[in-house]
Amino acid sequence: MAATAVEARFRIDAKPQTPRNTSVVALDEGAMAVVRELAGQEWNAARFLGCADGADGPDGAAGAGDYADLQLCTVDGEPVRLSEELAEADFVMMIATEGRGAAAAATIGDACTLRGIMTAGLIVGTNGESGAALTALRPNARVLLVTGDEQDATELLAGVGA
Amino acid sequence: MLKQDVNELLTRTGPGTDMGDLFRRYWIPALLAEELPEDGCPPVRVKLLSERMVAIRDSEGRYGLIDEFCAHRGASLWFGSNEVGGLRCAYHGWKYDVTGACLDVPSEPENSNFFRKVKLTAYPLVKIGDVLWTYMGDPAYKPPLPEFEWCMVPPDQTYTSKRWQESNWLQALEGGIDSSHVSWLHSAGLKNDPLFKGSKGNEYNLNDMRPFFEVVDADGGLFVGVRRNAEEGRYYWRITPWVMPAFTLVPPRGDHPVHGHFWVPIDDENCWVFTFDYLPARALTAAELQAMKDGHGVHNEYVPGTYRPLANKDNDYLMDRAAQKRGETFSGVKGIAIQDASLQESMGPIVDRSKERLVSADSGIIKARRKLLTSAVALRENGTVPPGVDPAHHRVRSASIVLPKERSFLEAAHDAVSVIPGVPQTSV
Repeated sequence: MAATAVEARFRIDAKPQTPRNTSVVALDEGAMAVVRELAGQEWNAARFLGCADGADGPDGAAGAGDYADLQLCTVDGEPVRLSEELAEADFVMMIATEGRGAAAAATIGDACTLRGIMTAGLIVGTNGESGAALTALRPNARVLLVTGDEQDATELLAGVGA
Repeated sequence: MLKQDVNELLTRTGPGTDMGDLFRRYWIPALLAEELPEDGCPPVRVKLLSERMVAIRDSEGRYGLIDEFCAHRGASLWFGSNEVGGLRCAYHGWKYDVTGACLDVPSEPENSNFFRKVKLTAYPLVKIGDVLWTYMGDPAYKPPLPEFEWCMVPPDQTYTSKRWQESNWLQALEGGIDSSHVSWLHSAGLKNDPLFKGSKGNEYNLNDMRPFFEVVDADGGLFVGVRRNAEEGRYYWRITPWVMPAFTLVPPRGDHPVHGHFWVPIDDENCWVFTFDYLPARALTAAELQAMKDGHGVHNEYVPGTYRPLANKDNDYLMDRAAQKRGETFSGVKGIAIQDASLQESMGPIVDRSKERLVSADSGIIKARRKLLTSAVALRENGTVPPGVDPAHHRVRSASIVLPKERSFLEAAHDAVSVIPGVPQTSV
């Protein structure tokens, strides 16, 4: 029987091979600190970004397919456009600690929806600001995790094999 | 996915293990009250957290859980005779009371005090509702008794069953936290089961197969909110509480009774699934009660005289491919309880989580694992009392509710997910 301990040993021993191409985007300054911490850890295929200075919303430049684009930057400050970043991504996690990044969240959410890319939002903090972050992210992330523990970001990324 | 050492920590609950120590800080269901039906009834063998015991109800109605094996030469006390004041071993007549204290060693002289030096390990056993609860930890840390609403309502408002599941406790609990499987595995049950069908919420469930998830910390564990589209400008939310270590409530449907589960490790490869239905504000009808006893809803049919499900791994869960093809079941297995059990058992006695490929919809499971892990470590290193021990954490409800899109589910449903005695459940 498949469910016995003896039979369980015969399961094919193949670990997941193809990692998720994961983009982690900080929507505000507080979230950027979390993202920098994450970027310092070891991952399979995750990239860590923030919104470029002043770019808390779409910059009006059209991406392919006539949706708005967004200027992002890596943790080292290198510029990268959202449309370029999403070309290879299959999972995007947005991190917020307050509600200021609502416009950016909407642009990212729309772009991912059009491309069929899964989105998740992590709201870090349990103060009043996190309520605004939740309101900003809710329409734009298929999964939301509200937590007072930054370590949950690591756990979530590790759990999905980022 | 989890590394092997973390998987070991989360799944092993025997004596001296971290997760075992965590479980031993809580009152946990041990047996159904029906298993010790009267004063002086025969003892019942019980294995919990990899410890073998017998449960006793003595001649005075006192309950106890004591080591199964006589201190003399290790014979099972299950064969024992339940006499006035205690259980007498069938082998050489040593007698014990419900606290495990030896009362008599017949082979010693009449005025011998030797018996006073003999004591078996024993745990308290307390009846609350339909369940006998035990606490297997250090007596110095024994918490107040549990206050789950399902146990506190009048007897005619609640029904509890239990079944033996042949898998580790954690993969069973994870099925309770993960509601995304309902739209698939239990889809036919939403239409056909007498304890599920007919609610407006089912329509929302079946019309939106890609729900959105929100996972929020709670004092005793987590709240997992799952939203689907309702009418214009509104979401249908189903809110599941998880109270540590292993209790969940399923969001209600219509006026049907509210159900949930408490998973209790028997050993590392088996668990009990205590399953209940209850209503906060009215009695169960005769029809509802009969449906539960007939194995509908989240209950099941049994191999006669046992708590083993009739459909089990030895008969391939009475797989019916024709019914699967006709759309009467999604997996070919009948009944919501066994649909869960079959797939969870198929993962192997302890699933190898290093081979997982989780998705973000598994956030609730990921977060729950983390809370269990951090709580077990904090207990080991600092003696920190884990969430869910405090009875205040037990006074939660599940809810299903339609809300305007802009509302935060937990704020808007605060009263709905709190126990207010006598107030009906919030349901759609």
